[in-house]
Amino acid sequence: MSDRPRVYKTEGVILRRRNIGEADSIFTVYSDREGKFEAVARGVRKVRSRMRGHLEPLTRSRLLIARGRSLDVFTQAETVTPYIAIREDLERTAAALYCAELVDRFTGERVPQDGLYELLLDVLDALEAGLPLHCVRYFEMHLLSLLGYELQLNVCAICGGKIVESDTLLSPSAGGFTCQGCRSAAAGGRLVSVRAVKVLRYARAASLDSWAGLRIDEALDRELRSALADVIRYLLDREPLLPRYLEEVSRLEPLVPLPAGEVQSEEHP
Amino acid sequence: MASGVAGTPEPIARLIEAFHRLPGVGPKSAQRLAYHILRAPDEEATALAEAIGDVKQRISLCSLCLNITEHDPCPFCEDDRRDRSMICVVEQPLDILALERTGGFRGLYHVLHGVLNPMDGIGPQDLRIQELLPRLRDGSVKEVIMATNPSLEGEATAMYIHRLLSPLGVRVTRLARGLPSGADLEYTDDVTLTRALEGRQDF
Repeated sequence: MSDRPRVYKTEGVILRRRNIGEADSIFTVYSDREGKFEAVARGVRKVRSRMRGHLEPLTRSRLLIARGRSLDVFTQAETVTPYIAIREDLERTAAALYCAELVDRFTGERVPQDGLYELLLDVLDALEAGLPLHCVRYFEMHLLSLLGYELQLNVCAICGGKIVESDTLLSPSAGGFTCQGCRSAAAGGRLVSVRAVKVLRYARAASLDSWAGLRIDEALDRELRSALADVIRYLLDREPLLPRYLEEVSRLEPLVPLPAGEVQSEEHP
Repeated sequence: MASGVAGTPEPIARLIEAFHRLPGVGPKSAQRLAYHILRAPDEEATALAEAIGDVKQRISLCSLCLNITEHDPCPFCEDDRRDRSMICVVEQPLDILALERTGGFRGLYHVLHGVLNPMDGIGPQDLRIQELLPRLRDGSVKEVIMATNPSLEGEATAMYIHRLLSPLGVRVTRLARGLPSGADLEYTDDVTLTRALEGRQDF
């Protein structure tokens, strides 16, 4: 028998839910002390479950968990922050789920990463408070740094030489900006504007609040989004799921009423 | 392929494999079920096989509301006594049964066959949302009731459809969210309690 306590307490953010069996669900949680872990909540899909609302994805909850043979089991859950404003808004829900997806994909089970839980709470608090969605870019930058993938933004990531700010290449494989001379060695990347170079450097140095206060226009936002998406795709070796969804919901054009009788063609690929 | 023990006759191995594919059925249960069928009277086994065949052959989706049905259109869509000015949007066909049990709704339905779940890669194009739109075009529908589950995914789906429909001038409502009967305030989560307070009513 192990001498570890049979139950433990932790606080965490619910990242995702997977239903199993008749009324159970397995939740993925990122917690301050345990890092990422999965545990099962028995009967949580029944109307009278006491834990139901406290284990919704994107909820910050205090948890009491019993160690199980294969999977741990939630025994108590209590909401700390329900993030109501996030869940009442399509884009904010998608943005917050994207942050949750990144935490899920970039972390290993039970490997707590210093500062990551606080960073996740910071971005959720910011989205809850109605700060602009480009907070997510700040989250991406700092997530990469915490996980040891900090982008080299000051000198060339390959030769260490000086970076000329006009049309700098951001190379995912080199791990940052590269100088003109190293471009051919950088194995791909994206040219970013002087503005993007400056705000990326600012994101690393600034607090989330001051970053959120920046006025970032649509073009710059798109540029930052694509540049960081390249890096994330390279590191994960796959496309995260949420950006496409976020794009889809924010692009959603309300329907223009058609004259009566005219039937829109079905769009089911 | 069939995971049967070597020497298991091929038809039994095939049956075990088929049961094993069902949700919630493990290898041991699959074996037990297969041997139960083997020992069962012929009529019982044939009835089961026919029931499975019938379900696949005779049940289809209603061309209007996408509910599962034997006849198209389904009994709800065909029933003239139902209120055609209201459409209740649900996630699954089983949700219709739950709503019908209450006897409190006499309108029509629309089944989405799922819910937005971006974490699993299920987006709007994976749901049957487009089929709802032609039903709203002639202006006879005055109200669309979103009866998706009050979960993160259900709420996102309701918000998505609400945004899609907002310029059509049709009233979009959602089921009240609050305390279920028999609930315990002490254990109720903050979101539910907040909404229960917002939705309080005069005696």
